[in-house]
Amino acid sequence: MRLAVVLTICCAACAVAIAGHSARVIAARMAPQQTSTEIDVTLSNPSKVLRLAIPPFAASGTDAELDAAGRTVSETLWTDINFEEEFDLVSRDAASKMPPVDSIDAIPYDRWVELGADFVVALHAKRDGAALTIDLQFVGVRTSSAKKIGYAQTYASCTVAAARACAHVIADDLHKTIRRLDGVAQTRLAFVSDRDALRPGAPARPTKEIYISDYDGENQRRITANQVLNLAPSWAPDGNTLAYVSYIAQSPDIFVRNLLEARPPSRPAAGTMQMENMMPAFSPDGTKIAFSSTRSGNWDIWVVNVDGTDRHNLTNNANSSVVNNCPTWSPTGAQIAFTSTRAGSNQIYVMNADGTGVERLTSDPGVDRPTWSPAPFNDIAYTSGIPGGHDINLVDVATRQVRVLTSGLGNNSSPTFAPNGRHVAFYTSRWGKEQIAIIDRKGNIQLRVTTLGANTFPSWSRTPRS
Amino acid sequence: MTRTHLSIALFTVALAWGAGCAGNPPPASTPAKPSTGAGSGQGSAAGSGTTSTPGSASTVPPPPALEPPIAAVPNEPPIAADPYTGQPPDVINKLSPLKPVFFAYDSDQLDDAARQALTDDAQVLKKYPSWVVTIEGHSDERGTAEYNLALGERRALSARSFLLSLGLPAAQLRTVSYGKEFPFDPGHNEDAWTKNRRAHLVVTANK
Repeated sequence: MRLAVVLTICCAACAVAIAGHSARVIAARMAPQQTSTEIDVTLSNPSKVLRLAIPPFAASGTDAELDAAGRTVSETLWTDINFEEEFDLVSRDAASKMPPVDSIDAIPYDRWVELGADFVVALHAKRDGAALTIDLQFVGVRTSSAKKIGYAQTYASCTVAAARACAHVIADDLHKTIRRLDGVAQTRLAFVSDRDALRPGAPARPTKEIYISDYDGENQRRITANQVLNLAPSWAPDGNTLAYVSYIAQSPDIFVRNLLEARPPSRPAAGTMQMENMMPAFSPDGTKIAFSSTRSGNWDIWVVNVDGTDRHNLTNNANSSVVNNCPTWSPTGAQIAFTSTRAGSNQIYVMNADGTGVERLTSDPGVDRPTWSPAPFNDIAYTSGIPGGHDINLVDVATRQVRVLTSGLGNNSSPTFAPNGRHVAFYTSRWGKEQIAIIDRKGNIQLRVTTLGANTFPSWSRTPRS
Repeated sequence: MTRTHLSIALFTVALAWGAGCAGNPPPASTPAKPSTGAGSGQGSAAGSGTTSTPGSASTVPPPPALEPPIAAVPNEPPIAADPYTGQPPDVINKLSPLKPVFFAYDSDQLDDAARQALTDDAQVLKKYPSWVVTIEGHSDERGTAEYNLALGERRALSARSFLLSLGLPAAQLRTVSYGKEFPFDPGHNEDAWTKNRRAHLVVTANK
C-alpha cells in the first residue's frame, strides 16, 4: 500500500477547533503558524464512530529506504488502528485501488465518500539522514468538510530504521488525543516456546524458553538460554521488568530481570530444594509479587516485596491435598483472586491482599488461571471447561455473571489482558500446536501472534517507560 | 624388525590375548608368548627410553626385571557386572535402572503396581547409596497447564513418601514437577495419556 505524500499548501501542522463541543485546541508539535478551521465532523465525540481511510503511500521513487519506511508506517498504522476498533477503517483492499494523495485539491473526494470515509489519513515522510519525520493530516472528504484539515500532527523523532516503532507511537497518540484512549501499540507480549528445542543441533533435553515480542507478534526474540523448562512469564508495570519461573536452580524458582539492564536476575521467592515457586504476578504498583509456593509444605499463595523482603503466606493451607495457585491482583491492588481446590474442584476465590475475607467467585465445571482485568473494567478472564474443550470465560466480579469469550474451537487457555482491558491474549490449539492469539471483547480473533513451535503462557505488558 | 619392535609387538599380542573379551577367563597358567624382548639389554622394550648416552662410562645397565606373563595375573571380575560404578548420571539413566510409576487420571494415589515398582526401585537405590535421584512428576495433556504443574508435584511427592517409608534417606530423593510440559508420548489418545501420567525416576548425581 502506498501512502500519499501531501504537498501541503497551507502550513503542515495546524491547530484546530472542533465544532459541536466546547472548542478543543490540539496543539501541534511543530506549528510555525496556527490557523483554526471549523469542520462539521466532530473528532472527539465518543458516540460518533469516525471512518478513516489510509490511501496508498505515494513513493518518491528516488529514495528507496525512505519509501520503504513510509510504506511500513502506513501499513503498520492501519493494523494498529484496526486492532483497537476505535475508528472504522476502509479496508486495505478497497483503499489499495485508490490513488495516492498528491495534493489536497487532487484528492478524488467523491470516490472516498463512496467508500464511506469521513477522513483520508494523509502521510508525508521525509528524512534527514537516519532521522525520519512523519507529517500526518486527517483531510475531510464529506461535502461540508472537504479539503479541510481536521487534525494534523508532526512526528519528528522517528528513525528510518525503526519505522514500525514510529507507526506504533503515532497510533497510540491518535487514540489518546482523539479518543482519550490508552492504546497498546507500544506494548509487548512475553510467552513460553519450545521452538529452539526443535532446531538442528539442539541438545536432546526438554527445553522451553521465555520469549518476548511486540503486541502484534513482530520482533519475537528469546530472552532466556537456560536449556531447561522455563514458564509463566509475568510483566511488571514498568513494561521492562519480567518475572518468570525457571528450573535452572535446584527447584523451580521465580527469577526477576529488568530487560534493559545487564544484571543477573534476582530471586525474591528465594527458592531452595524441595519447594516449588510458581506463577508470579506483580502488584499494580509494581512493589510486590504474589506467587504460589510449596514452601510451607502445602500449596499456598504468598506475597513478597520485589526486593525479597517481607515474604509471607496469605492462605496458610494445612491440607496437603488442597492446591492454591495462580494469584492475580485486582486493578487497585486491594484484592487478589486465585484458584483453590478447597471445595473439591478447582475454582476461583477472591481475598483481600492481606489474605482475609476469602470468597468464592465461580462454580464452573473446570476453572483455572484467572487474570483480573485492568480498570475501567472489573472482570476476570479464566480458562474454563472440561479437558479437551477449554474456553476463555469472563466473569463480572460484581454481578458474578459469566460470559464465554472463545467459540469452542480447540483448547483455549491461560488468558492475559491488554493493559487497557480491551483485548485478551491466550493460547489455542485450534490451528494445531498451541499458538498465542488475541481476541477482542466481542469474541473476534484479532491477531495470531505465533507460528513456530508450541507457544503458551502469554503475558501482556504495559507500554514500557523509557 | 628390530628387537625393540619385536618385543613391543609380542607384548601387545600377549596383552590382547590375556585381556581379550570380557567374560572369557584368561588362559591357564601356561605362559603364552613370553615377552622375550624384555631382557634383551640396551635400547630394549616398551619404550623405556633407556639409551646409553654417548661418551658415558661403558657400564652396561642392568637388564630390566622380567615382566610376569599376562596369563599369571589373577582373574579380574568381568567389567560388565556393574555398569554403574563411577559412571555419570547420563550413562546410568540410559540403562534405565529405575522403574517409573503410573497414575490414574487426576490422581496422585499409588496402586498395587505402583507400590511394587517403587519397592523394586528401593532395592536398587539401597544398593547404590551414592546415587541422588530426582522423581519427576508428569501428567497427561488434558487438564490445564497450571493445574497439571501442581498435580505433577503431588505425584512426585506421593512416590517419594512411599520410598521414604521403605527406609531410604531423604537426601537421596528429590522431586520436581513438569506438569504436562514434557510428555513421554506426544500422542492425543488414551494410550499416550496413560504413559504420561507418571512419576519418573532419574539419577541426577552419582557421588
